[in-house]
Amino acid sequence: MKRFSWDEMMNRYPAFFAIILLVVALIINFILQPNMFARDTLNSNMRVFLPMILLAAGQAIVILGGGIDISVGGIVSIVNTILATQVGLNGSPEKMWTFVLVSLGAGILAGAINGFFIAFLRLQPIITTYATSFLYVGFALFILPNPGGGIPAEIANVYRNTTPLGLPLAFYVIAVVLLIWMYIRSTRFGNYLYAVGGNAEAAYETAVPVTWVLFSTYVVSGFMAALAGIAITMLSGSGNAEIGVPMTLTSITAVVIGGTALSGGIGGVAGPVVGAITLGIIQNIISFSRIDTWWETFVKASIIVVALAAPGVINLLRRKKV
Amino acid sequence: MSVSLSARNIVKRYGGVVALSDGNLDVHSGEVVALIGANGSGKSTMSKVINGVVVLDGGQLLLDDKPVRFSSPQAARKMGIATVFQELSLVSKMTVADNIWLTREPLKSSGMIDRKLMWEKTEALLDLFSGTFKADLKPATLVSALHPDEKQIVEILKAISLNPRILILDEATASLDSRQVERLFELVKRWKAEGKAIVFVSHRMEEIFRIADRYSVLRNGKTVGQGDIKDITEKDLIQLMTEKEKVFQFTKAASGEDTSGLDHPIYLEVENLTTETLRGISLKVRQGELLGIGGLQGQGQRDLLLALFGDIPYEGKIRIKGEVVRFKHPRQAMRKKLALVPGDRAKEGLLYIRSILDNFLLPSWQNYGFPLKMKLAKRDALTISERLSLVMAGLMAPVSSLSGGNAQKVVIGKWLLRDPDCYLLDDPTKGVDVNTKAEFYGLLTELSQQGKSILFYSSDDDELIGLCDRVIVLHDGKIRAELQGASLTKENLIAASMGVSNGGEA
Repeated sequence: MKRFSWDEMMNRYPAFFAIILLVVALIINFILQPNMFARDTLNSNMRVFLPMILLAAGQAIVILGGGIDISVGGIVSIVNTILATQVGLNGSPEKMWTFVLVSLGAGILAGAINGFFIAFLRLQPIITTYATSFLYVGFALFILPNPGGGIPAEIANVYRNTTPLGLPLAFYVIAVVLLIWMYIRSTRFGNYLYAVGGNAEAAYETAVPVTWVLFSTYVVSGFMAALAGIAITMLSGSGNAEIGVPMTLTSITAVVIGGTALSGGIGGVAGPVVGAITLGIIQNIISFSRIDTWWETFVKASIIVVALAAPGVINLLRRKKV
Repeated sequence: MSVSLSARNIVKRYGGVVALSDGNLDVHSGEVVALIGANGSGKSTMSKVINGVVVLDGGQLLLDDKPVRFSSPQAARKMGIATVFQELSLVSKMTVADNIWLTREPLKSSGMIDRKLMWEKTEALLDLFSGTFKADLKPATLVSALHPDEKQIVEILKAISLNPRILILDEATASLDSRQVERLFELVKRWKAEGKAIVFVSHRMEEIFRIADRYSVLRNGKTVGQGDIKDITEKDLIQLMTEKEKVFQFTKAASGEDTSGLDHPIYLEVENLTTETLRGISLKVRQGELLGIGGLQGQGQRDLLLALFGDIPYEGKIRIKGEVVRFKHPRQAMRKKLALVPGDRAKEGLLYIRSILDNFLLPSWQNYGFPLKMKLAKRDALTISERLSLVMAGLMAPVSSLSGGNAQKVVIGKWLLRDPDCYLLDDPTKGVDVNTKAEFYGLLTELSQQGKSILFYSSDDDELIGLCDRVIVLHDGKIRAELQGASLTKENLIAASMGVSNGGEA
């Protein structure tokens, strides 16, 4: 009779699968790179993972609400090109701060555009954000047609080398993101999010403001994508309008292996954060094991296929038993 | 908190179909009004008008003697009208407590939900039904892990947690067991004493007489009787629900020689068929028999036909011509010469945007070789369309260009091409015009004369009585009655549908 415990388990601990995968990846990585837990190595890894962690957290909110945001990579690109062109390699810290705020505003605006089309005009999320992703990447290319520009090295180093109490900066950022998520999860808005993603019709009949909840998820996602864009700019120190493009699919992969269902209403943000770290480590493993880089895409694609197919396979096996 | 609600001369149309032409209902504080009617009489439309799910086309709603108009369920809810929906309004991946208090969660000063308080309040609500459900129904249980009856209880608690002035119970007892119904009735009595007004929609006669104070009977979208329940008998109620006017003169297949069918060999034998909704069905169908399946909608008729066609998993034994079969896929059923005319022809019966030709030949393409013999295919399709006197612009016209009746002919036609031995019909005349219906009846008679076995579910009781020699009536997934010969009357059919057992041998 305990057959449905898998469902129950995935519901209560949506990050379960992601954590198993993380542990396995960590062990393999540790074998290949025994010094991976040294302070410098840890920090250099975490600062590379952080942009994707932020992006995945925003993507998770949208997917929880029953949508999907394919334009996040475009927003990352816009932010990167704004900072690289407007701050410049010789810019002052004040200028940097100003344009960080402008970038966050741009992210929120881009998210609001998505949200308007999807929540108020009731357009398909996947089509809408696919279309706006071209809009956003196109706008980034308009700002910065050729890779170049950048931010001052000393500002970039703040991101790269800050290790309060000997722990990477990324750890603190992750902690803040998770704390905020835990708060949201226990507010009324958190409940609305799960209700809208789980059964929008029932939510509507119960007087949940479905339209506003949907709208807000895209705004949050745009904001998180802007944060990711700021992080990746400080990591690379330079501008490239195409920088965000490959990040979109990775963010969705992180959410899926993090146990947050693409159908909406199931999962959380912690799982996707773990998923993003796992994907980063897998990338590490691939580069350390000196295999061709095309394996990277292959492995990533395999993981997403397996993660998507797993519930279906489990169901199939269960049905056979009956 | 005295309250009264009156619905006067309510009219509601869906497209061209009139669901309600003159619906009336009065309910006051401290009473239970039973809304009663046969299939398609408009009782579900009536309850939807009261709770704001549909907007009425005519007539008037009076709340406390003041005219009101509800544009949404929320508007009705604000006025103190809560509904226990039959199709539940629950989010399955959320907990029981989250579902009950959604949008009304108790908050702490930090803006966080006070889950402890919410669980306590949920416990208090669950106590209302304590002892009638399994111990694992707790505030923190996910709704998806609950049984249908427990979900129904959560839905009831969700409605009552609003502390409504008017409570509509739309078939709320359908998935509850007897102990739970007992408890609900105790609660209803308590709510009544508190001054709530309750509208009770049910198809169980016994329950209506136990709980209702007054009744309102709908027939064909018209209210045909209202009054105190103590002034009426079960028989009279059924009489009220039964209409006298008949549109058709039916000619039975073997009228006058009824007995001739009895020596035909048994074609289909079903033993203890069980699915999610069916609870042990056993029946036999002879070759050339037209067996009617009656009962209110959703009593397992659909499951019976789908299980026979291998479309859903089932337990039990099915024999065709004495040979045990176990279909796992409709393809296997088709090979055994079965055909299914599904209930929703637009979704399940037809490829709507494809041509009439494509639809006719869909189950039969493998008979036309490779490459396909298109000329032969067209000729066969044309023969069938002539046999059915299909009104169409041409074989290449899309099915979507056809009227409802003609589209249904295409569903039948695609099976005729395969010449099956047994037809499973799921309410085939629903939404079909009068002339096509008549043609249809002729076709069914003809098929059964050719020795085809037909299982014919219809929501139109007149059809069953007019066409079939034998009708089984399903109620709650079981065969409630088997009517034939003299016992096959409309009164008995309706009585059995409502769960009254005075009709036929059960």
